[in-house]
Amino acid sequence: MKSDVQNQAMSELTKNLFAAGLTGASFGLLYASGFGVSLVLGVLIGGLFGIALGFRLTNRPPKMRYPMRLARRMGYAATFFLLASMVYSYLIDLDLTRSQALLVTLLPTLGWTALVVSIGMAIASLDELQRRIQTEAIAIGFAGTAIFVAGYALLQFAGFATINVGVVLLVMAAMWLVGKLWTLWRYR
Amino acid sequence: MKNRLKVLRAERDWSQAQLAELLDVSRQTINAIENGKYDPSLPLAFKLANLFGCRIEDIFKPVASDK
Repeated sequence: MKSDVQNQAMSELTKNLFAAGLTGASFGLLYASGFGVSLVLGVLIGGLFGIALGFRLTNRPPKMRYPMRLARRMGYAATFFLLASMVYSYLIDLDLTRSQALLVTLLPTLGWTALVVSIGMAIASLDELQRRIQTEAIAIGFAGTAIFVAGYALLQFAGFATINVGVVLLVMAAMWLVGKLWTLWRYR
Repeated sequence: MKNRLKVLRAERDWSQAQLAELLDVSRQTINAIENGKYDPSLPLAFKLANLFGCRIEDIFKPVASDK
C-alpha cells in the first residue's frame, strides 16, 4: 500500500506533468501554426518536450527555489497567453468592426499580463540572492533584446525581411537565459 | 566584506544545506556569502548573528576596499 507521502509525491508529479505538458503543447501549436508546420506534429513535439521537462523538474528541482505551485501557475499563464494569441490571430482576420477588433486585441494582452504577474510572483517568492540573480538576468535580457530589435530594425531599412514577433520572444527568452547563466556564474 | 561564516558553520558541524534550511534561504546563497561573492541583506545578517549567538560584526568584517 502506498503511503501518504508517496501519494502526495505522485500527485505532485501528475500536476507537474500536466502543467508542463499543456504548456509545451501550446508552444508547439503556436510555433507550428506560425511557421506553417503540421499542427499535430507541433503539439506532439511540444507536449512531449513539456512532459520530459516536468518529469525532470519534479525529480531534480531547480536551484531556484520556486514553490512548484508557482512554477505551474507560470505554465498555465503561458498556456493562456499562447492560446489567446492563437484565438486572436484567427479572430482578427474575420470581418470585425473597429470596436470588436479592439476587444479581440485585449485577449493576448490579458494573457501576457497574467504571464508577467505569475513570473513576478515566482521571483518574489525566491530568497534574496536568487531574486537578485533573476533581476539582473531580466535586465540583461531586456538590454539584449533591445539591442537585437534596434539592430534588426536598421537591417530592415537595408532591405532585410520583416521579423516574426515569435522570434523576438525567443530572442528575449534566450537573452534572459544567457543573463541568468552569467549571473549564476558570477555568484558561484 | 570578509566573513567567518565557514568557520562558525564548521564549529557546529553543519553543512551548507543545513544552515540554508535553518535560515530559510538556498544553499547557493550560503555558498555565495561564504566565498565573499555576495553580501547579505541586513535582515539576513541579523538572522545569522542570532543563529550563531554573536554580533553581526563578529561575523562580517569590512576589507580595505569597503571603506
